[in-house]
Amino acid sequence: MGVVMPLQEAKKKESFKQVTRDDSTDLALFVRTSEEDIVGWKRQRIVDALLRETFIDRDTAERISIDVEKTVQTSNLKTVTGPLIRELVNARLLELGLEEARRMHTRLGVPLYDVDHLLVQHNKENANVPHGPEATNLTLAEGIKKEYALLHVFTTDVADAHLNGDLHLHDLGFIDRPYCSGQSLEYVKKFGLNLPNSLAMAKPAKHADVLLAHMVKFAAALQSHFAGAIGWDAVNLFYAPYLEEMSDRDVKQLAQMLIYEFSQQAVARGGQAIFSDINVYWEVPKHFVDVPAIGPGGEYTGKTYGEYEKEAQRFAWALFEVYKEGDGAGRPFFFPKPLVHITEKFFKTEGHMDFLNHICEVASVKGNTYFVFDRGDTAKISECCRLSFKLEASDLEDAKEPWRMRYSALQNVTINLPRLAYKAEGDDTKLFTLLTEQIKLAAKGHEQKKKFIEKLMALGKGGPLAMLAMDLDGNSYLRLERCSYLMGMVGLNELVKVHTGEELHDSEASLKFGLKVIAHMNIVCNKMAEQMGMKFVLEQTPAESTAYRFAKLDMAHHPEETAKVIQGNMESGEIYYTNSTLFNVGAEMSPIARVEKEGLLHPLIEAGSITHVWLGESSPDKEALADFVIKTFRHTNNDQIAFSPEFTCCLDCGKTGRGITDTCQYCGSEKIDGITRITGYFTKISSWNKGKLGELHDRYRNEERFVRK
Amino acid sequence: MVNATGMMKKLDNIKGFIESSFIDWPGRTCAVLFLGGCNFRCPFCHNHPLVRHPDELVSYPVEEVVSRLGPLRKWLGGVAVTGGEPTLDPDLPELLGIIRDQGFQCKIDTNGSRPEVLARLLDDGLLDMVAMDVKTVLVRDKYEQCAGTGVDLEKIAGSIELIKNSGIAHEFRMTVLPRYHSREDIVAWAAYLGKDSVLKLQNYDPRSPMYPGLAGAKGFSPGDFDELVQLIKG
Repeated sequence: MGVVMPLQEAKKKESFKQVTRDDSTDLALFVRTSEEDIVGWKRQRIVDALLRETFIDRDTAERISIDVEKTVQTSNLKTVTGPLIRELVNARLLELGLEEARRMHTRLGVPLYDVDHLLVQHNKENANVPHGPEATNLTLAEGIKKEYALLHVFTTDVADAHLNGDLHLHDLGFIDRPYCSGQSLEYVKKFGLNLPNSLAMAKPAKHADVLLAHMVKFAAALQSHFAGAIGWDAVNLFYAPYLEEMSDRDVKQLAQMLIYEFSQQAVARGGQAIFSDINVYWEVPKHFVDVPAIGPGGEYTGKTYGEYEKEAQRFAWALFEVYKEGDGAGRPFFFPKPLVHITEKFFKTEGHMDFLNHICEVASVKGNTYFVFDRGDTAKISECCRLSFKLEASDLEDAKEPWRMRYSALQNVTINLPRLAYKAEGDDTKLFTLLTEQIKLAAKGHEQKKKFIEKLMALGKGGPLAMLAMDLDGNSYLRLERCSYLMGMVGLNELVKVHTGEELHDSEASLKFGLKVIAHMNIVCNKMAEQMGMKFVLEQTPAESTAYRFAKLDMAHHPEETAKVIQGNMESGEIYYTNSTLFNVGAEMSPIARVEKEGLLHPLIEAGSITHVWLGESSPDKEALADFVIKTFRHTNNDQIAFSPEFTCCLDCGKTGRGITDTCQYCGSEKIDGITRITGYFTKISSWNKGKLGELHDRYRNEERFVRK
Repeated sequence: MVNATGMMKKLDNIKGFIESSFIDWPGRTCAVLFLGGCNFRCPFCHNHPLVRHPDELVSYPVEEVVSRLGPLRKWLGGVAVTGGEPTLDPDLPELLGIIRDQGFQCKIDTNGSRPEVLARLLDDGLLDMVAMDVKTVLVRDKYEQCAGTGVDLEKIAGSIELIKNSGIAHEFRMTVLPRYHSREDIVAWAAYLGKDSVLKLQNYDPRSPMYPGLAGAKGFSPGDFDELVQLIKG
């Protein structure tokens, strides 16, 4: 290997050889190095490492090495490990008050006990990570990168704010990658599969199934370069030019392959399925109507996308047929998540009611459908649990050559809102001042991540982010200057309760106050964006584990105040804050009130929001849902809704029943697992963290609870 | 709630209120009102507090219901009045009138034991849809077993005819469980109804039945149930 990686260098410094003649002591000591070698003791190695890694002077380094040698000598050990020596040196540095040097000389790693646990037990931070050797690899690597990020990428104030739970820097274990990516299939159609570091280059696909193979591999490659979601724009439309000669049966087969490919990809990074989204349109979106279509072989077909409406619709219909059937055991597919855009044009497009009923049936039977509302002239590409990128003028210019369309958020930082309210002690001015400061700190964290990614990107095609530096269309794949930086929030509901005494759903006044808080966040973000030249946008954090983490930390740091507003069950430890700007999940609010009132906040949250309608076990009427979806589009500002049914799947007979039950509805077995949406995606309930289990228990499922006098 | 003269207050029997349901009116989002009290004691009923001890449940004042329904007008396709058995409530016509005056269509769910009330509601044009719960085939022993009480089958049959000929949207529903319903019964029922009326099956929910003796009884397995649904469709 030509390049000496810093990590290997770090390992080298831990090799120690037999003492030389200069040393007065005769130390018959062996050192286990990280290079899988047992070598003799050499004091000089300590000095070398200190001089290489820190700024201390040679004399001090020499002195420390002699001290450490004495300690080792008096311990009567036959063998020591590199890490132990390093820690002895660190202890000495600490004693000498050389904290800066100690930080620089520190070792990142994991205690034996933790590794032992990890290899055997399940990590539940992210329910999309299964348990297995690949998953533990991911967790271990994430652990070290997280430590690295907190020590080396972020300044102490930002890192401390994360550690004490004032805010949460998401995906620290993926510090060397951007957060998420939304793109167009056109890139793969036009350029084929031509990845840096790949062993073979594939020319543009000539057949639909080959295009699918390219798409899946490209998605897997992207998963290796982004922390989170991989979204695809207008998938049914961009496949359309390949479908003209295909029978309905073949189109259905292709739809099936696409959904199975993405839902079964739990073999890639960390054994994790690719968190994938497909955006689906019934109409041809306005901005693609006159765009020349690319077809087999990456060639223009001579038609525009406007002429492929029927083919695109055929594929959209087939995709939802597959979703309706579910997987081989009748379970809902977890990925790819289908996001259907409901627009003015949707309602002007022939067959839209049939399609709406079709996707509502899927929503009722399996829950998959996400309804994304693009009102007026808005156009969006959606991904992740709710994240969306609004297309601006420059994006619509890109739309003329859709392979240019790609969107990335570089990082997500979430603010612990309830804690600000504890600190403000009922004082409005103090609350908003604290909020402003916290956003500024989050912005600082964003800037630090940006600088780090810039540094990696600057290494270009020879660097670690070669794939993101590839420039097949004249621009690097990751267009850093156009990235967004997400500002998330957890526990608006609890902030409002601490500050006003009421939860968001309790009164007009408390809701108004909630709106004020989010409006303030929005304004501060915009100001910071102008000041720093970075695009800060609010997003409803999915907060799968953050809602639990903040709750736990606040119970530790502010037990009295927290106990008054925390959600869940304190006895069982299943505690949580309400996600983002959602209302209390247990509040007996009708779905109408929920989409209306939560929707009031959505226009302030540029990068995406969602309202969940938890269905429990009832299978709603598809036409009733369709009616509700239309009215949500017409009468509210709600950004996106999804209906979440619940299922029980049997580990014995393999069948899946509706509702969460104690035993299998088919064979009566008690070996069962539940399935429903955790935040923005379906998973098995057995993989949920305690906070989310508490939430699941509380969710109001639109059923009458008769009240005794 | 008792007023100053010691008389039961009128319209004081709304024991449950769902503002928007997706399962109570085919094709529509609707509100649902639950009226207390029932003359049947179906062993598999899971609304039993409403059936047996409605007086122990808090009532929603009709004014509150009206004021909460108001802002939902543009959302709702109507209001479904269910129970219990709503036709037992002497205030039902008045309640339906109040709801209609607010601009909502009305549907009721009934067990069909009071065709004379049903006829009057239909005559007065108070209903836009009727759903009738039928318990099993019209054989006295079987019907009374499923209703948990004596049943005048002529009245049931009368209600069925009334509804079929009402000219308004309607459906018949039957909660089924293997202990009471054979496949033949279900098929016979669907055939009796004929092509113009829908028989919708509901699988028995084994959690918290009214009759403790049913504890341990099961509904049809989801697979068998789907098969039944397909069978009567064909």
